[in-house]
Amino acid sequence: MFTNLESSMTEEKQITPPTLHLDIAPKAETTQLSDKNKIEIREFSFFYGKFKALGNISMQIPANQITAIIGPSGCGKSTLLRSINRMNDLVPNIRMDGQIILNGENVIGSGVDVVDVRRRVGMVFQRPNPFPKSIYDNVAYGPRLYGISHRYGLDEMVYNALRQAALWDEVKDKLHQSAMALSGGQQQRLCIARALAVEPEVILMDEPASALDPVATLKIEELMQTLKETYTIIIVTHNMQQAARVSDFTAFMMIDNPKTRTGVMVEYGPTTQIFTNPKNKQTEDYVTGRFG
Amino acid sequence: MARETFERQLQMLLDQVLVLGSMVEHVVLESLDALERRDLVAARRIYEADLQVNEKRYAIESGCITLIATQQPMARDLRFLAAILEIITELERIGDYGKGICKIIMLLSDEAIDPVQIYELQEMAKLGLDMLRRALDAFVTCDATTAREIPMEDSKVDQLYNQVYRKLVEQMTADNTTVDRANHIMWAAHNLERMADRVTNICERIVYVATGEMKELDTT
Repeated sequence: MFTNLESSMTEEKQITPPTLHLDIAPKAETTQLSDKNKIEIREFSFFYGKFKALGNISMQIPANQITAIIGPSGCGKSTLLRSINRMNDLVPNIRMDGQIILNGENVIGSGVDVVDVRRRVGMVFQRPNPFPKSIYDNVAYGPRLYGISHRYGLDEMVYNALRQAALWDEVKDKLHQSAMALSGGQQQRLCIARALAVEPEVILMDEPASALDPVATLKIEELMQTLKETYTIIIVTHNMQQAARVSDFTAFMMIDNPKTRTGVMVEYGPTTQIFTNPKNKQTEDYVTGRFG
Repeated sequence: MARETFERQLQMLLDQVLVLGSMVEHVVLESLDALERRDLVAARRIYEADLQVNEKRYAIESGCITLIATQQPMARDLRFLAAILEIITELERIGDYGKGICKIIMLLSDEAIDPVQIYELQEMAKLGLDMLRRALDAFVTCDATTAREIPMEDSKVDQLYNQVYRKLVEQMTADNTTVDRANHIMWAAHNLERMADRVTNICERIVYVATGEMKELDTT
C-alpha cells in the first residue's frame, strides 16, 4: 500500500510549474521524419547510474496508430515509455544515449524545453491520480498552467477534453464536485481528459487499465480507438491480450541476459503479425505463454 | 460503450461472407447459363475466375484468425468465428461445383444435350441457390428455426437428381454412344445435388452459433 501511495505521489509530480517559453526554447538537432511516423527512436540506450537498463533500441512509431510495448517484468518497457516525454529526468543519476525524434526534434537532446515536450507528449498512469479538486479544475489544470484564464476558453477546453475522453455525459451535471468521488474507471478517463486538455500530439499510457475492472477496462480500450484518430498512442501493458486487442503495432522487449539485465527490442511489427506469425522464436514463446 | 470496434470487425467479416456467398451464386448461375448457350468462352472465364473466390475465402479466413488471436472471442462470438471458418469452406466448395460444370462444358464441346435435361439442371440449381440465399439470411439474423427448416428441402433436389440420373442411365443403356455425354451431364447433376448438401452443412453451423448445439440436421 505504501508503495502504491509513493508511486502515486511520484506520478503527480508530472505537472511542472509553467515556464511558457514555447517559442524561445533552443532547438536541438532536427531530423527529417517520414510523414507517417510520429516518433523515431534511434539506437537509444538508458542508464540508471552504471546499470544499462535499455540497449540500442530502435523503432519507428507511426502517427495516429496505437503502438503497444509488451514484455516480461523488468525488461525496460516503462523506462522506454517514460523516456519519450522525459519523465525519467525526475530520477537522479540517469543517462541517455541515442535519439528520440518527435516531429524532427531530438527530445532527449540538450537544450530541449522539457515542459514543452511534456505538453506535446501527455501521459496516463497505472493508477488513476486525479487531483483532490473538482472535476472541472482537474481538466482545467493544464490549460491554466499554460496561461489560459479566460472563462469561456477554459469552459470550451474542459468540454472538449471531457467529450473526447467519453466522460462528458457522465459528469456534465457535477463538474464542480470532487473528482475523488468518481469511480476508478471514471477517474482514469478524467486523467485522460486532463492529458488531452493541453492538446498533446502523443499520449503515453503506462498500464492504464491495470487497476480497473473489466467493464472500465473495456471503456478505456474503446476510447483509445477513438482517440487514435487524433493522437498517436503508445501503451505499455503487462496484459498481452490487451495489447493484442487494442494495438496496431506491437513491440516485444526482454532482457538480453540474466547478468546484465539490459532491456532490448526483440521484435517489432504489426500486431497481427506478432500474435499470429511472429518472426522471432522468443516472441513466439512469449505470446504462446511458454516463456515469461 | 460495448466492444464497438470488435463488433464492427465481426460485422465486416459477416459482410465479406455475404459477398463470398454472392460470388459463388453467380459462378453457379453463370455456369448453367453457359451450359445452356454452350458458351465455351464464358465457361473458360468462369473457370478461371474461381481464383477470386479462393482469394476471398482466404482473406476471410485470415480475418477470422486475426480476430481469434487478438480479440479473445468468447461464447457466441467464438462460435460465430468458428462457424465462419466452416461456412466459407462450404461456400468455396459450392464455387468449385460451378467451376466443375464449366469444365464439363469444355469437355462436352458442341455435343447435343436434351433441353429438358438442361431445364432439370437449372431447376436443381434454382432450388439449391434459393436454399443458400435463405441460409445466409438466417446466418445474418442468427435464426436457428429457419436454419433447421432449410435442409428439409434437400429432398426436392435429391428427387430431381434421381430423375436426371434415371433418364441418363436409360439413355446410356439404349445407346452406348451417349455414355461419355451422359456421364458428363450426370456429373453436373451430381455437383448440383452436392451443392444442396453443402447448404445443409451451413445450416448446421447457424444452429451452432444460435444455440451451441453441434449436430447433424434432419434432411427429410
